[in-house]
Amino acid sequence: MNITLKYFSWIRVKLKKSHDLIELNQKTNLKDLKNKLILKDPIFQEIFEDDSVKYFLNLKEIDDENHTLNNGDILAFLPPVTGG
Amino acid sequence: MIKITNESFDLEKEFKFVSSDINGAYSFFLGTVRSDLSSLNKKIKGIYLECYEELALAQLKKIRSKALYNWKLNECLIIHRIGKLDLGEKIVLVITASSHRTNAIEACEFVIDSLKIDVAFWKFHLLNDDTKEMVSQKNLDNEKMLKWKDIIN
Repeated sequence: MNITLKYFSWIRVKLKKSHDLIELNQKTNLKDLKNKLILKDPIFQEIFEDDSVKYFLNLKEIDDENHTLNNGDILAFLPPVTGG
Repeated sequence: MIKITNESFDLEKEFKFVSSDINGAYSFFLGTVRSDLSSLNKKIKGIYLECYEELALAQLKKIRSKALYNWKLNECLIIHRIGKLDLGEKIVLVITASSHRTNAIEACEFVIDSLKIDVAFWKFHLLNDDTKEMVSQKNLDNEKMLKWKDIIN
């Protein structure tokens, strides 16, 4: 299955890209995905160690690492916001 | 009305949108780009605003609904700019309209306080050497939001 990752603010700057399309096995959860991404690029370690980063799956915040991902999902990594 | 745009806006035109003889009070908040110093004490020449537009629209819609419901507003307009903005340019406009002033004023404050900590916008300072510096979230913005916790349904 394929899922889209979206990166914003300092995460986008560090990774030098705004999004990724990645292929995963069925029944992958957020924890599995994080481990896979750390192996792909050590920068993800820093991102995942930052407690202020929030995860939005299909526009809804998730904080359960066991949350199962599905084909076509969009997962966004959001640092603290600074609009207004 | 909610709008995220990379174009400027006209205050009088936007006021006409919310203006109605059912209202006895309007409250406005206009945020602009101020001449500021970066964390390294360099003068900034503007800002760059990044946005996750689909999420920001959903979050603004939720904030607007809470404002309309809790303060019995007749209208609530929120416009937020994105992209590159020079010093002095308009960033964000909130207009709340109600029968009486207290509701309009409080709701306007609630909307901008919520927007500051709950909507997917990120600000960068643009420095004179053409580099960008991320702006950090202020603790004060989070503290200000606490006062609304017991009021909002």
